[in-house]
Amino acid sequence: MPAELDFRADRYHPPRFGIYLLFWLTGSLFVLFVVRFWFLQILHGEEYAQKAQANRTRQERIYATRGIIVDSRGRLLAENRPAYILTLIREDCPDIPATLAQVSSWTGISLPALQAKFQQDALRVKSFQPQIVATDIPFEKVSEIEQQIFMWPGLSVETRQRRFYPHGPLFAHIIGYVSDASEKELRTDDKLALGDIVGKQGLELMLEKRLRGTKGLNSVEVDVLGRQLSRRQDEPPLAGENIALSLDIDLQKAASEALGEEAGAVVVMEPYTGKVRALVTHPSYDNNIFTATLSREDWTNLVEDPRHPLQNRAIQSAYPPGSVWKLMMVGLFLEQKMDPRNGVTCLGEVHLGNHTFRCWKRGGHGFVNMMQSIINSCDVYYYEMAQRVGIDNIERFATACGFGSVTGIELPHERPGLVPGRDWKRRRFNEPWQGGETLNAAIGQGHTLVTPIQMAVFISALLNEGKILKPLLIENDEPSLRGQLPIPQPHRTFILEAMRATASVGTARRINRSDAVMGGKTGTAQVVRLGERRVRSSEMAYRHRDHAWMTAWGMKDGKTYAVVVMVEHGGGGGSTAGPIAAKVYDALFGPEHGRPRSAGGEGAGSDPTQELHD
Amino acid sequence: MLAIDRRLIIHANWPLLGLTAALFFIGVANLYSASGVRFEDGISIAPFYQKQLVWGATGLGCMIACSLFDYRHLRTMSLPFFILVVFLLLLVPVAGKTVSGAKRWLAFGLFNLQPSELAKIATILLGANLLSRYKDPLRWKELFFILGIAAIPCGLIFIQPDLGTTLLLFFLLGGMILFHGITRQVLKTCCIALPLLLPLGWLTLKDYQKERIVTFLDPSRDLQGAGYHITQSQIAIGSGRLWGKGFQEGTQSLLRFLPEKHTDFAVAVFSEEWGFIGCMALLALFCCFLLCIINTAKSAKDQFGSIVCAGIFFYFFWQILINIAMVVGLMPVVGVPLPFLSYGGTATIVNFILLGLVVNISMRRFIFKMS
Repeated sequence: MPAELDFRADRYHPPRFGIYLLFWLTGSLFVLFVVRFWFLQILHGEEYAQKAQANRTRQERIYATRGIIVDSRGRLLAENRPAYILTLIREDCPDIPATLAQVSSWTGISLPALQAKFQQDALRVKSFQPQIVATDIPFEKVSEIEQQIFMWPGLSVETRQRRFYPHGPLFAHIIGYVSDASEKELRTDDKLALGDIVGKQGLELMLEKRLRGTKGLNSVEVDVLGRQLSRRQDEPPLAGENIALSLDIDLQKAASEALGEEAGAVVVMEPYTGKVRALVTHPSYDNNIFTATLSREDWTNLVEDPRHPLQNRAIQSAYPPGSVWKLMMVGLFLEQKMDPRNGVTCLGEVHLGNHTFRCWKRGGHGFVNMMQSIINSCDVYYYEMAQRVGIDNIERFATACGFGSVTGIELPHERPGLVPGRDWKRRRFNEPWQGGETLNAAIGQGHTLVTPIQMAVFISALLNEGKILKPLLIENDEPSLRGQLPIPQPHRTFILEAMRATASVGTARRINRSDAVMGGKTGTAQVVRLGERRVRSSEMAYRHRDHAWMTAWGMKDGKTYAVVVMVEHGGGGGSTAGPIAAKVYDALFGPEHGRPRSAGGEGAGSDPTQELHD
Repeated sequence: MLAIDRRLIIHANWPLLGLTAALFFIGVANLYSASGVRFEDGISIAPFYQKQLVWGATGLGCMIACSLFDYRHLRTMSLPFFILVVFLLLLVPVAGKTVSGAKRWLAFGLFNLQPSELAKIATILLGANLLSRYKDPLRWKELFFILGIAAIPCGLIFIQPDLGTTLLLFFLLGGMILFHGITRQVLKTCCIALPLLLPLGWLTLKDYQKERIVTFLDPSRDLQGAGYHITQSQIAIGSGRLWGKGFQEGTQSLLRFLPEKHTDFAVAVFSEEWGFIGCMALLALFCCFLLCIINTAKSAKDQFGSIVCAGIFFYFFWQILINIAMVVGLMPVVGVPLPFLSYGGTATIVNFILLGLVVNISMRRFIFKMS
């Protein structure tokens, strides 16, 4: 074989250019990559190290305990209870449809509903993250499920906190409720995650920031599929703030029982601080049904209930104030330098143009001065005086007293009520103000609307040197001044004196008690304009009956409370709202000495016509 | 076969063999780390590194075998070998095995053969054979003759489809031709014409190949697919910083953020764990390795041996350049492995066979003095 090889001995010289080319290429390769590695690892190393770190760590939120809510004496109004939920890690579950069917048979939730929810949530829950498939598993079921759960990989029982309201309907409108965060809430609040609960109504909504607390943070090391390898707690969760309300469970209960089956509201307020001690609205609902999975049926029932149980009548319903309005009107008359001793002769009616304006008392009160006009609630006095001061003054004065605007109570959807005037009339109806309307406005009829809470703030202001205070629901909040009543001290004294007399000898006799200084003013707000003769409320259809008001204050042993009772379609203020206010004072001051209050209330209202109205 | 002359062993290219051993064992160690996957209860290692050791041992055998006979016999054998390879390549579309959408393999019972790997050897040998017939720089006629012959395997591999190998073959031959030399006129014309031909090349690309190039230019276009490879690879390399994260500490690799980490992206694993210092050392090793081959080409006793060495130089050079450039984000993602660091049986054996040839040429550089 070697013979075949070419053995030419002349020395071969490789092409110089070729060899240089190879050296040059090798050198370039080295330089190119040195520069590139330097660029990536030294110049931008920090940046890439952070990206690598971000790649492998997932932040996992740890739920914070929501703050509890207690009453002024530390008794629970909203607490957290463990709730059992079923979660599923999709990637660990070999047969999701069969698993869901099993969950359906355990929980009784219908399979299509489970599947629909599962498919919807599956879009938002990442791989290897537990997805909630069923909530609120009853404790008895949990043990049964846990015995069988090993047969269903991916499925596990977890505990989560669930809000519970021990007093349910009694505080439903104040506490409100929590529920799963909605799509919109998830979008607008980046601290929320799917399945988080947030306040939806009442204080749960208004105090959401304070109650929620701050979620803790776990760093979880994950691989590219999101499988969790290790975890470390970076930030412990911070529980939400526990909040004590100014309300008192016993008083709330007493006020609620006093109101009984009536639709209406009771407000008990401390005049000097603005603290609300009881805020009852009827009818109510059980807010616990919202924290569990609220069924469509329950929701429909609540929304379509003709008695509107979701409405907080103390702040969200505005009613004509009726004769209670006269307290404010007297303040205006005194401001307009009217002499309280001067009066009018009430003949039972006043004529203005083609209209006849009647006093509630047929036949009239005879001569009535300012003090008597309150005690007996004579309408004619106000018809006459209102014509002298005019609607503009009434509107200005009522607005200055805080009517027509919200009180600022820390509850959502408060209504401002309405103080009518010329501008409003033109805006609303595009009509000029009629003289007769001034007369109606003077006795709190017509378009005038106030909420029970506004009335309680007004009565408080009469008692507390004229300060219009924000009604407070939280025990530790400092009093917050929102304005000054345009009624100077001597005039307030006059009004309080008139209320005291009304409580002892006038239309508010029902609340009188011997062991306390009491003042009151009743109101009966007409819902429909009736004919010549007033009809007994029991003879009218419910929805046509008058609204009954009772505004009162009472002082005993250095404690003063303003109480406002509003009974929707309750009929006469004195007869319907009066006894309710009296029962509230029984709860506040204890039963009157030696005279257990009986249902009928002797001594008051032997005159049936007086019962009929104020 | 010839009895082994003691002087042959003395004259064997020991620096090259030492560098090869170093690179191979770095590759195996890196593969050990790269094939690890961390689970909740620790790291599990896939057995790639063991297989690679077996391939390496096989390759060593092939290398010794390839250095025993006088390489000048290859000159006569290059044409028949080339024809055999073309025949095998023709068989692929007919009898080939389809793996992930591409037909590249021939199954021969015990082992799978990738004819495109053999085509690299055949092209180097035939190219060297043809080029060594000319003493002077190539003129147009000779250039087209050689390119025309090389176009046969290139075309067959391109339709498999395997763009990486096609380009490698083309560049390989181009390098060899440049090494041999071309006339100034041809050089000038090529320098002007090649950029004009590039758009034509674009038209022949398949959609996924175009997509890769577009994605390379803008990785954010496709963060889940090809752009993901580019992004994660750069994160892995960059996060190694100066000193690296340490052996088996690379999070990008252990937690599987880095794709293809034991094959095409093996050097990213290395960069993550050994940092800039490690990369410099690795680059230095590769460059010394290339310099040893250049040295052999320079000192070869005949033109055929010299051009074979140049071919083998370009074979390694282009793979190192393309692979690392792709991993560090300087080039689109093309499936070219990094010699000795990427896992792969056929590639390892081909590497060792070619090294065997270099050793062969190198140890016979004094052969004429003896006679």
